[in-house]
Parts: sequence; structure tokens; C-alpha cells
Amino acid sequence: MIEIEELTFQYREADAPAIEDVSLSIPSGTFAGIIGPAGSGKSTLTYALNGIVPHCYPGDLYGSVRIEGHDTCDTALTDLSRMVGSVCQDIDSQFISAVVEDEMLYGLENYGVPHDQIEERVKEALDAMGIAELRHRSIASLSGGQKQKVAIASILALRPSVLVLDEPTAELDPASSRSVFTLLSHYVEAHGTTVVVVEQKIALLSEFADLLVVMDGGRIRFADAPEEVLAHSEELLEIGVNCPRCTTLMNRLAAGGLYEGPVCTNVSSACRALCEVAA
Amino acid sequence: MDGFLEYVPGDSLLHRLNPVTKIAFAMLFAIACFCTSDLAFLCLMLVFGIAMAASCSMLRQTAGLMKAVFAFSLVLAVLLLLTTPKGDLLIDLPWGYVGTGSVLAAIATVMRLEAAAIPLFLTFYVTKMTDLSNSFVKVLHVPYRYAFTFASTVHFIPVFMNDMKGIMEAQTARGIEFDRGGIVKKIRLMMPLCVPLLVSSVRKTNSSAIAAEVRGFALRTRESGYKNYPMTRTDWGVLVLGVAILAIAISLNFL
Repeated sequence: MIEIEELTFQYREADAPAIEDVSLSIPSGTFAGIIGPAGSGKSTLTYALNGIVPHCYPGDLYGSVRIEGHDTCDTALTDLSRMVGSVCQDIDSQFISAVVEDEMLYGLENYGVPHDQIEERVKEALDAMGIAELRHRSIASLSGGQKQKVAIASILALRPSVLVLDEPTAELDPASSRSVFTLLSHYVEAHGTTVVVVEQKIALLSEFADLLVVMDGGRIRFADAPEEVLAHSEELLEIGVNCPRCTTLMNRLAAGGLYEGPVCTNVSSACRALCEVAA
Repeated sequence: MDGFLEYVPGDSLLHRLNPVTKIAFAMLFAIACFCTSDLAFLCLMLVFGIAMAASCSMLRQTAGLMKAVFAFSLVLAVLLLLTTPKGDLLIDLPWGYVGTGSVLAAIATVMRLEAAAIPLFLTFYVTKMTDLSNSFVKVLHVPYRYAFTFASTVHFIPVFMNDMKGIMEAQTARGIEFDRGGIVKKIRLMMPLCVPLLVSSVRKTNSSAIAAEVRGFALRTRESGYKNYPMTRTDWGVLVLGVAILAIAISLNFL
């Protein structure tokens, strides 16, 4: 369970808060997606969840963030990291090792995972990301997409109860992006993991997320089920978030009185709705 | 894969040796080179170094290193030539002379630096930095934070060099002529790029430190390491060879 109460954070050198008066509750086992224009405070919100704010980036913090009941301000970063696995936006700076296998082992070794479980965990995470063949490759020789998969796999191997990912599919092609989201969705179902993912691909978020959070100017503008949030397509467009085209089309038909059904979040549901309208 | 100081996978004897053995042998080898000025011995050491490079298919990289070391050692050699008047007179100078002994000392300096650099250089190419730091922790009981600092320093050298290359390519695409002119012009053009490189380096180092911390860096102990680095008979044999080389180098001074 993640509970954020009236959270405001201003970086020490900044003139204005990066996030302001943010309150959000994410139940365990939820797949939450965060979207918003550049500079809206998405990454700072993820830093607040994994404890990087305020432990690594100093500044003024008001309000509270609780992960499984632990206040992130009062809990040491190392203890928080046992619960929260993080994949940063800058993948290259996340790598500690030069070879994929060593990168996978790093966290497992640090957390004292019994040595007889390590091989199984490494294999499972690499297989899950479809990169078993990269195990002995040098990280410098990998493509951007492969590096992203390695970074995600190295965190999945730790089996955290909360997984925070900042734009994990930024360098992935559409098929790989979908497979990453499918995998994350599987983790939510199979392990009850809470997944919080910052992403610009709204079509993917609306398909996989249980909770869609839209941020603008450091504040939360919407936080609801994707169907509810996407009903506000005009307001989303105003703040710089494009809805999937099928959603925009169906919302316009609804505004013109031609469609009265639920919000369509993907092409197949829009097709079905259009067939019904045409009939 | 074969960038500067980046690990090159392989299955040669050098690859298979214990990382502690590799670094210890490289150090003994380098110290031995500095313990004697015997040209025949230094020549043998140089040949031995090149043979080691050939055994792990690193001749191309070693040739690059030797070229760089040669340029550096040439400066020292010229200084020695001009400031060490020894042996029979060859050239008279206002402050002394260049003698046959000066020439031999200059040649010895070049050969010494070339020979001493090769095994140390090879160690970084045939050893994963993680193995090097983990073996320091497991075998030598070095505290992990110091081993990690050392490994990270070496790990970041190629990263920053790639960053510099990227910045230079971006500047070249905007019309800065890095590909023309001499070394002085290149250095003058590179000076303003040091600031963005420094900024990005500090940022990367900070991000990397945070990434390590959120993956339990502070929890690591000597027992944490998954891999073990046992010393085999070959390792002990190589260490004995290193000590023998050092002993021969020292004893040459008394012959």
C-alpha cells in the first residue's frame, strides 16, 4: 500500500516546488500509470516513492509518503530499497557492472539472497524479459532497448513488493514495449506486486493500468481508472496529454450525441462501439 | 566491446587466472622493470609482455598502448639524454654532453616503461571489474566500499571517453574542425568541451551512486559475493614466477 498525503517537495536550488499538494493512495497489487507533460513532476513523484527524495536530493519536503506503513523520511534508503525496486530514466547511469550477469547479481548479492536461490532468480528474470541469450554479453555492446530490458530484469530478480519505473519503454519498439507491460501486468497478478510506471505511451497505460494518474504543473489533475480519466480528452489535450486516437474519436461522437456507451480505451473496443453505432 | 579499458571476453590462461594473481603478477612485473637498467633483461621483459598479449589475442590493443607509452617515454628519454652526461662523449653540450651512457639510459627508460605497462594494461582487458573488486574483497579482505570505488573509477574511464567522443562528434557536425590541424589546435578546441564533460560526469557519477544505494550497496559484506575466487596451483605458480622475475631484476644490480 502506498499512501501519499499532501506531499510538496521543492529542490534546494529550485524557485518553485517540483510537486505540490499531492495526495494519492495506491492499494497493494495495483498497476498505476503516471502521465503528464515534461516538467510536471512525474520523476520527482517516483523519487518520493523510492526514497531518493529526500534522502539523496535535498530540499524542503512537506506532507508524507508511506510505503507499506513506513514513512520514507524516517526509513533509511537501504531499508526502503528492500521494498521498492526502481528503474531510473537514465538507464546507462543505473549500471554498476560491465557484464549483464554481474549486473543481475549485484542487487541479489547485496540483499543477501541465499546463494542456492540466486541462479533461479537470475534465470527467471532474464527469461521473463526474453534476454537469456544476453547473459554473458558486455553491457556496452547492447542496444538501448536491450539495456532497458537488462535494467528491468535486474530489478525484477529482487522481487520487490513495489516496483517504480520511470519511462521503462522509452527506447523500446512498440512490440517490446507491449511485452514489458504484459510482463509487469503478470507480476501484479502473480506476485501481488504494486507497479508504478511513468510512461508517455498513453495507449499502453490505458490498456494495462488499473489507476491512471495525470500530472500537470506538479499537481495531480486526474487519478482514477483509465476509462474515467480518458473521458476528459479535451482537458487532457489542453495540458499536453494526447488520448489514444480511438478514444478521442469516440469521445467526440459521444459529445455529438452519436454514442452513449462507455469510454473506449483501445481500437478493438472502439471498433465494437462503432459497429453498434452503425447498426 | 573493445573500447579503452573495456573487458574483452575470452578463454586464455590470462582470462582464467584469479584476478588477484593477475594484478599481483602485473605489479611484480612492473616493479621488476623499475629495479634494473639491464637492457638485455628489459628487452626480454618486453618480449615476454608482447607474448602475453599474443596469448590472449590482444596484440592490436597492446600495439596501441605501446604507441601511446612510446610518445610519453620519448619525452623522458630526451630529457635523460640531455641531462645525464655518462659514458664516452658523443655530442658536446653547453651544460654537459651526450654520451654513450646517456643513450643507453634513454633506451632503458623507453623499454622499461613499455614493458612495465603491458601486463597492467592487459589485466584490465582480461578481467571484469566486478571480478577484480569482488576478488579483492573475498581473497584479500579489502573492505567492499574501497574495492567498489576502485572498480567504479576504472569503469567510468571508458564511459567518460565515450561521452567526450560524443561531444566532439556533435561539435564536428556543427562545423568545428576537430579532424583538421595539429595537436595544439585540437587541444585548444577541446578545452571548452571540458566543462560540459565535467558536468555530465558529475551527474553520471551521482546517478550511479544513487543506483548502487537503492540496490543495497550499504548491506554488502564479504560473504555477499556469489562467485568464489579460489587460488589454484596455476595461480601460485604465476605468483612464484613473478617473485622470481623480481628477484632476478634485483640481483642483476649486484652482478
